[in-house]
Parts: sequence; C-alpha cells; structure tokens
Amino acid sequence: MDLTGSHILNADTNRIWAMLMDTDTLARIVPGITRLEKTAENEYKAVAEIKMGPVSGSFSGGLTLQDIREGEGYTLHVKQSSKIGNADATIRIDLKPTDEGHTELVFDGGAKLSGLLARTGNRVMSGVAHTLTKQFFNNFEQEIETV
Amino acid sequence: MSNKYIGQSVRRTEDKRYITGKGRYTDDIKLVGMTHASFVRSPYAHARVISIDLSAAQNMPGVVAIFTGDDIKATGIVGVPTGWQVNFKNGDTMKEPPHPLLIATGSTSKHIGDPVAVVIAETYAAAVDASEAVEVEWEELDAVTDPFKAAQEGAALVHADAPGNLAFDWELGNPLSEVDEAIAQSAHVTSLEFVNQRMIPNAIEPRAYIGHYEEHIDKYTLYTSTQNPHLIRLLMCAFVLGLPEHKVRVLGPDVGGGFGSKIFHYTEEALVTWASKQINRPIKWTETRSEAFMLDAHGRDHVTKAEMGFDADGNVQALRIKTYANLGAYLSTFAPAVPTYLHGTLLQGLYTTPKIHIDLCGMFTHTVAVDAYRGAGRPEATYLLERLMDLAALEMGKDPVQLRKQNFIPAFNGVSEPGYQTQVALQYDSGNYQGVLDRGVEMLGYENFRQMQREAAQNGKLLGVGFSTYVEACGIAPSAVVGALGARAGLYESAQVRVQPTGKVSVYSGSHSHGQGHETTFAQVVADKLGIPMEDVDIIHGDSDAVAFGMGTYGSRSLAVGGSAIVKSIEKVLEKGAKIAAHKLECAEGDLEYAEGKWTVKGTDQSVSFGDVALTAYVPHVYPQGLEPGLDFSSFYDPANFTYPFGCHIAVVEVDTETGKVTLKRFIAVDDVGNVVNPMIVDGQIHGGLAQGIGQALLEGAIYDENGQLINGSYMDYAMPRADDLPMFELDRQETPCPHNPLGVKGAGEAGCIGSTPAVVNAVIDALWSGGHPVKDIRMPLTPERVWRAMQS
Amino acid sequence: MAKITVKVNGKVYSHEVEPRLLLAHYLREVLSLTGTHIGCDTSSCGSCTIHLDGQSVKSCSMLAVQADGCEITTIEGLAPSGSELHPLQEGFKECHGLQCGFCTTGMIMSAADFLQSNPDPSEEQIRHALEGNFCRCTGYHNIVKSVQWAAQKMKEDKAVTA
Ligand code: FES
Ligand code: FES
Repeated sequence: MDLTGSHILNADTNRIWAMLMDTDTLARIVPGITRLEKTAENEYKAVAEIKMGPVSGSFSGGLTLQDIREGEGYTLHVKQSSKIGNADATIRIDLKPTDEGHTELVFDGGAKLSGLLARTGNRVMSGVAHTLTKQFFNNFEQEIETV
Repeated sequence: MSNKYIGQSVRRTEDKRYITGKGRYTDDIKLVGMTHASFVRSPYAHARVISIDLSAAQNMPGVVAIFTGDDIKATGIVGVPTGWQVNFKNGDTMKEPPHPLLIATGSTSKHIGDPVAVVIAETYAAAVDASEAVEVEWEELDAVTDPFKAAQEGAALVHADAPGNLAFDWELGNPLSEVDEAIAQSAHVTSLEFVNQRMIPNAIEPRAYIGHYEEHIDKYTLYTSTQNPHLIRLLMCAFVLGLPEHKVRVLGPDVGGGFGSKIFHYTEEALVTWASKQINRPIKWTETRSEAFMLDAHGRDHVTKAEMGFDADGNVQALRIKTYANLGAYLSTFAPAVPTYLHGTLLQGLYTTPKIHIDLCGMFTHTVAVDAYRGAGRPEATYLLERLMDLAALEMGKDPVQLRKQNFIPAFNGVSEPGYQTQVALQYDSGNYQGVLDRGVEMLGYENFRQMQREAAQNGKLLGVGFSTYVEACGIAPSAVVGALGARAGLYESAQVRVQPTGKVSVYSGSHSHGQGHETTFAQVVADKLGIPMEDVDIIHGDSDAVAFGMGTYGSRSLAVGGSAIVKSIEKVLEKGAKIAAHKLECAEGDLEYAEGKWTVKGTDQSVSFGDVALTAYVPHVYPQGLEPGLDFSSFYDPANFTYPFGCHIAVVEVDTETGKVTLKRFIAVDDVGNVVNPMIVDGQIHGGLAQGIGQALLEGAIYDENGQLINGSYMDYAMPRADDLPMFELDRQETPCPHNPLGVKGAGEAGCIGSTPAVVNAVIDALWSGGHPVKDIRMPLTPERVWRAMQS
Repeated sequence: MAKITVKVNGKVYSHEVEPRLLLAHYLREVLSLTGTHIGCDTSSCGSCTIHLDGQSVKSCSMLAVQADGCEITTIEGLAPSGSELHPLQEGFKECHGLQCGFCTTGMIMSAADFLQSNPDPSEEQIRHALEGNFCRCTGYHNIVKSVQWAAQKMKEDKAVTA
C-alpha cells in the first residue's frame, strides 16, 4: 500500500522540525497513539488504538527514525503488530520551507500489511490511511495553534 | 426390463430434511463433553518461527490444552501425504517435502494461515480468545506466489530441497522435434499466452471436523465434511497417525458442497483426531470463512504459452504447449495428478490434431495448495483448446463453427466402431461431437446472429458469440492404469446390496453425496433393476463402519463407477434369487424370467415374488440344497476405462463500450453425458457447473500480493456469482451411451464447469473484434476495467 | 451475562447469554435449531437468514441480546400450522432448487419474506431479491424457478381460501 502526500503547515521549518523530534508532541499528533516511549536514541516503543470500520485493534511495536537530516527530514520506520495483523511501514518525510514562514511536509512511502488486515482490510485500507493522514495534519495544525 | 424410474425426473428423497432445516452437517453435531479448537496461524506467507510463548494463553479461562508444532514433532508425526506420484522427465521421483500438521520452532510457515499451534477450550469463544493470546515471534522472509516467477533465478525458495521451486517437470505427447517441425510447416500458427487464474472453491459449508477418541473401547471417530470418508481414513491411519484402521471410524454426514475442495486430507482432520486422544474428549473445529479462503485447496493457476498450427485449409496440424502450474506450498492429495494426467491427457480435445506436445513444470510457491477444483485439469485443457480455436477462426477469417467441424473426430459408438486413440495416452469411449455442436448452433439461431451483430455494432453496441466444444474424462478410472500413472490408491468403488427378509433393500455405497442426489438416483437404479418400488430402497453412505470400502465422490464418477458397483451386486442378488425361486417353483433356473419384481416360469402365470424369495432366503425351511441362506452381496467395480462426456457450450454477450461491462445475454449448453438416470438432477449439475465456469470467466480469482498476502479473502472482496449475475440457462442433451459400463452413463458433475469458461471469454473477444478491437486475450476475470482497457489498446 | 426473552417458532425462551453471542449462535448452540446455517463471517452469504418480527434478517449480523423481546421464525417453524411444508419448501423440492442444502434454509427464508410483499414477481425481481444469498451448487436457475412455483402456488391457495 502506497502512502504519499503533502501538506502545508503554518509554521516555519525550525519549529516543525522541533515538533517532529519531540516525543510528547508526536504522541499527541499521531492519530490513535496512546503511548510513546523512548527506548534508545531515535527509537521508540509505540502503542496505538485504531478503530475504523473493519480495521479496529490495538497495535504495539516500534518506531524508529532513520536517515535524520537536521531540519530537513527523516525516514520513519514503523513496525506494528496486532491481533488483526501486522503493519510494516517506511515513510520518508521531507520538510521544505515555503514563503511566509510556512513549511511543506512531504511524505512518501509504503506499508506492508499482513493477516486479517491484509485480507479484509485492503479494500478499505487506502481509505483508512487517507483518514489517518488527515487526522495527523489536523492534529498537527491544532498543536501549532495551541503551543 | 422396462424402466419405471430410470430416465424420470424423480423428485429427490433427500430434500425433505434439507428444506425443513433437519439436515445434519458436521457443525450441527454436539457430543457430550465436546471441546472446541482454534488455530494460531501464520500472518506471513513465509516466516520463521523464532519462539512461541504460551504463558498468557495457558491461563485463560476455559483452556483445556494447547499443542504446538514442537509437540507434534516430538511424537514423530511427519505430516499429511499426497496420493499421487509424478516423476521428473529424467525419471527421478517428484519432490515431496513434508506437510506438517503444525509448524515447529525453527521451521518456516509456507503460506498465510499455516498453523503453528492449536488451542482447545471449553467453548469456541474461549478457544479463539486464548489463541489470540499465544505470542509467536516471527522472522519474516521473502515470498513468491506466481508459478512463472517461482521458476526464475533468484526467486525465494519454498523448500530448501526443491531447487528452482520445481516439484517436477513433465511432458506428454509426440516427440517435441516432430511437433516443432509440424508447427514450423504450418501455414498459420495461432499463439496465445495466458493465465488460467487461481480459483477459490467456496463450498458454502465451511469445513468442519470432530475428533472423538473413546478410551473404553479404544476407538477413534472422525466426523468430517468430506467427499470420501474411506480415503480419509486410509490416508490418516496409514500415512499420518499410524493408527489401526479397524479402530478408526470416519463419518461424512451431510456435506454442504465440495467441488473438489473436500476430497483432500487436511491437516486439521488428523490433528483433531490425534488431540482428542491426548485430552480424552471430543474436539470440534469448524473453519471460519476467512480460513476457508486461506486454506481450502485452490484450483487452476496455470501460466501457459500455447501454439496451434493449421494448414492452408484450416486443418489443425499441431499443438505445442508450455505450462507452469502452481501447486502451492505443499502437495495436496491429488495435486500432482491435476495438471498432468487430468490436463495433459485431454489436449487432443475433439480434434484430429496429429501432433501434440505439452511440457509442464509443477511449481512450489508460498501459497496454499492447489488441487482439484470442479473439473480439475480438464477445464484448463478445454480453455486452452477452445480459446485457440475461436481465436484461430478470427485470425484466419474463418467461421468458428465450420473450423471445428472440419477438425472434429468423426462420430464413433465404441461398440461396433472402435474407441478413438488420442496422441496423449487416452482412448475415448464413444462420441458424436458434431451432433452437440449442430444442436447448439440450432438453438442459438446462428444464421441470424452475425446480421444482428453487425446491426448492433452500427448502433454502438458490441454483441459477441463464443463457442466451446469439449470432451472430458470422468469416472476415474481403471486402477491398473491410474496406478501405472502414479496413483497411490486404486480407483474402483464398492457397493453392498442387502436384501432384508421382507424384501426391502438397503444399499451401502462407497460413493458420497454432498448435493448430487445419490439417495434418489441410486434408488431409481436399484428399484428398476429389482422391479420394486423406490420407497423400498434405502441408500446408506458416508460411514466407514457401515460401508465396506469406497473411493468417494469426485471426478464425476459416482454413477459411472459407484452405480456400476451397485448393478454388479444386484446381478448377484438376482442370480441367487433365481436359484431360490426355481426351487420354490420346482423348475430349472433357465426356465425363469425376472420382471416387475417376480420370477415367472416362462410361458406360464406361475411366479414367485421378490419379497417371497427374500423371506425364504432368511427362513430357509424349504430351500435348495447346499445353498447358503441370506440375500446380501457386495461388489467392487473397477472400470474398464474412463468415460468421456462431451458437449457444446455457447455464450452470447453484450459489451458496453463506455464502461467495458460484460452482460451475459444467453448461455446455451448441449451436453452428452451418456445415458441419464434423472434428467432433473443432471440439469441441476450442469447449471451449477455453468455458474462456476462463468464465474471464472467474469468474476472470480484469488489475488495474492507480492508478499503472499491473500488480499481478497472474504466475500466482500472475492466476487462469487450472485443470483442477478446470471441468466436462465438454455439446456439440451444428446445421449451417446458409454459402451463399457452397465448403465451406459458417463458423468455430469463437472461438464458445466469445463465448457463454459472459454465460451464466455470467446464471446467477449468476438464482440471486441466486431467493434474493431482485434485483441487476442483479456486476462480473466473479465472485469469491466480489463475489457475497457482492451478496447483502448 | 445478560438475560433475554425471545419467542422462537411460537415458543417462549429465556436465557442468560454472553453479550457478545451472535443471534445465529444462540439459535444453533443454545436452542439447537441447526437449520439456521453459518456460511461466512462478513454477513455476506445469507445462509443464516431468519425472520425477526416478520422480516428477514441475517442472524449473524446481530447479537442475541438485540433480539430480546422479539419474535423469531426459523426454517424449522416456517411451515404454516396445519401443513407440513411452506409453499416455498414444496417449490424447492418440486423444482430441484437445492443440491447440498446448505444455502437452502436461508434462501427459503429470504424468499418467504420477499414473496410476502411481492406476490407476483418477475424473474429479475426474484434474482434481485436473492442477491444477498449465495448458492454455489445450483447456479440459481432452479432457485428462481422454485420461487416462481411457490408464488404461483400461494396465489392459487389464496384463491381457494378467498
Ligand atoms: S452467516 Fe450470516 S450472512 Fe453468512
Ligand atoms: S444448494 Fe449447495 S449451496 Fe445452495
């Protein structure tokens, strides 16, 4: 399953970058995340609850930041398992400054699904991914407003 | 003897229990103390089991026991076998890696759903809860799912000891050099590269098993949704669990459809049987539909290149085939036979093709096993031949009906005219191929069709007609022949006819009915042969303790083989009955004739009834000297040959040029399945087969993604034909008797599924050509998107 | 556990059930009415169709607790009192509308509900009405005929009693 898209956020690159590197912020903006613990440098343990039509379950697993390019982006590797199947996603995130102190966040990657998630979820997964992405950016924007 | 029942559409006697909800399928059965099983399955197509942690699951409420692959391994149980051996071209034995009941730690799963552990609990819900609490650590590995890709350098390996993922390579027919030569000499060669996609059988009853070990009598009972209880007992006892057969009873109660998928011996059958002894309680397992999609053996899945050479007049000169057949991860019960002896041997079709060669690779992939699915090999052969025929006609500008006729094997009855010896090992029994085609063409009203087609095209509508004429091989088959071809069992059938003292008759058949209506058709045969009312006949099947032996029901064999065994036993009954009757009537046996349920002294009105003779046999006061009492005979019938039904299927479709949507307007089927005992039931068999064949052409097909995940494993994702996807079918019949069995029957279970698929695809191709889109192939299923894309190219 | 009271085929039952128990399982496991079959886990096949307060419902798509206080008819209770078979049951036998019988009970229950509101259906309407019920054996041809046969029979019966 492909995961690609972009969004313009109302803050400058430095601020976005700081938020993306902060565990607490990430835990707040990534949809479904109920716990995010740092286990090592750039490595986290994540627990997520996702409920969306046939895709509902609690996921747990690891989250790693790789290929960190200070202020420019990183590659996010998420490995989550659940009773309804496992997801293994690699997403490259790039930050591009645009005019007036805005930042374009571009992401590009894909996820490998298995188990029930792959079998009955595929039909709706792209819709689910779409919704989750939207939630992510909504949360992000809110976070920018409030902090 | 005049027939009262044979040939009549007698309403089915078994229906009453089904329509009132009193059918008794395996999942309906409850035993005292019964537990329930749920499996822990691999979420990956290919992954190593690093560790299994049962600690959380073990303490969950209601859990009775948990067994893992390591437990099974410790017992020395290796796994379930295959029933057919095919050798490599060089004579080496095929690769036959073990198919374990559960995967042990350190080993790898080989398709999604491969089980690692089984949880047994007081209730099904408790078993499912606990199975979800079993923690398995996996190391995911690369997978391959496509048979052609599996053969390429660098493809992920399914079994370490099967290099190149090759289970076997195989060839059949004339020497390749001769075929190459004939193709090279041909004036026209039609070639086609295509995929015969993977089908999921989808019997509506999911598989269900109950294993029950009773310590006090040291006996196992297995209730199973199977097509062949005795074969399951044989395989499980002799090859899997090493149990003494007389201590194992296998029951196949009402079974909700099979279509091949319930022939095979599955790991879960052996597992519940084995585990039942470990916990000393009955264990039930019923699969979910999700499991059925993942685990019931799939069908078809060939990647093929086919070439057919013609001379300048359109006479077929040669056929050359290269096929990669997907066998899945493990060799299922009949798997090696399907692409070889049930496919390669049918490539003569109904044509006089003088030179034929097939070269085939049986491939392992990280997918569930592929085995016989309705038609098993013969639909693949027919698809190939009939697609080539219609396409060749389009390419050469010839009429597809005419092209077939000029290449047909001339009619032969197999009695005064010999059978037809093919280039690919088989000898056809009897046939009249032009007869069915002529009748089909007549029903279609072909003379007006092309005109209509042109007019439609002018009005922006694409109409198409597709033809398909097939011959298939049923009633599998002479044991000596199949044995020589690698079958590890005989393929006869047994039947016992037990005449009760009052003249009522109990018939024990080794065939198994799961929708075919044996309880009715067999009783029709028995009642007519004995001249007694059908109500006096009871058919018993599906119980290995009651029935002497049996090879079960598949390959359209029940009436041809099982029915013939019954007839043999009836002959024995009548022979002995005549001795008793002669004694009673004080005449010689030769003076008697048997009709309408009584023996009559020829030319007199002196007679004795069947019931009288039966009573005398059991109360032998006045009785022939030296004759044993009783009237009860068993027979085994081993057929002399396969039977060869044939027919003509014609599809008319309309293709929407805007959307690519195909509407099936008409479907005509003229089948010749030999003599017919119950026309209503035969028509029903054809209808069902047609729906499955049409389903393959237009709707169905399993989709694995590149990681080996089955991504359309539910009814929401896999398109099975629904009531509004199909038209009313137009059927007719021709009857060319089978010359080598006593009933003259050939078999009707698969015919519909064999002829229909290419007819539909040919019709769509024909429609596209008529609209100026000369495409050779569209990959099945012919979804609107694919058809639309084909029109754009 | 939750307590439910239901009337099934004219008889009243009260049971303590687990809140997650599906109605289909309640009928099969608790009441032993095994004529209601289960063919899937996505509410797609229709094998489990019953009548709930007179309307056809897939009994795998609801919980037993949701049926509390309802009146249920299953295939075992479909035949009108005094006759052995419902016209649809007769029709399926007469027209060979079943082979393995597994889809049949759900098919008949769906068709029964449909004929109540469509006593004189066309072939197309019948096919459309049964679209939620899978049959893998019959190709639907004889199922359509069975429903037509029953519709005709019900009309005749009505004419007689009218
Ligand atoms: S079991 Fe209810 S719809 Fe399939
Ligand atoms: S009769 Fe077998 S599924 Fe319908």
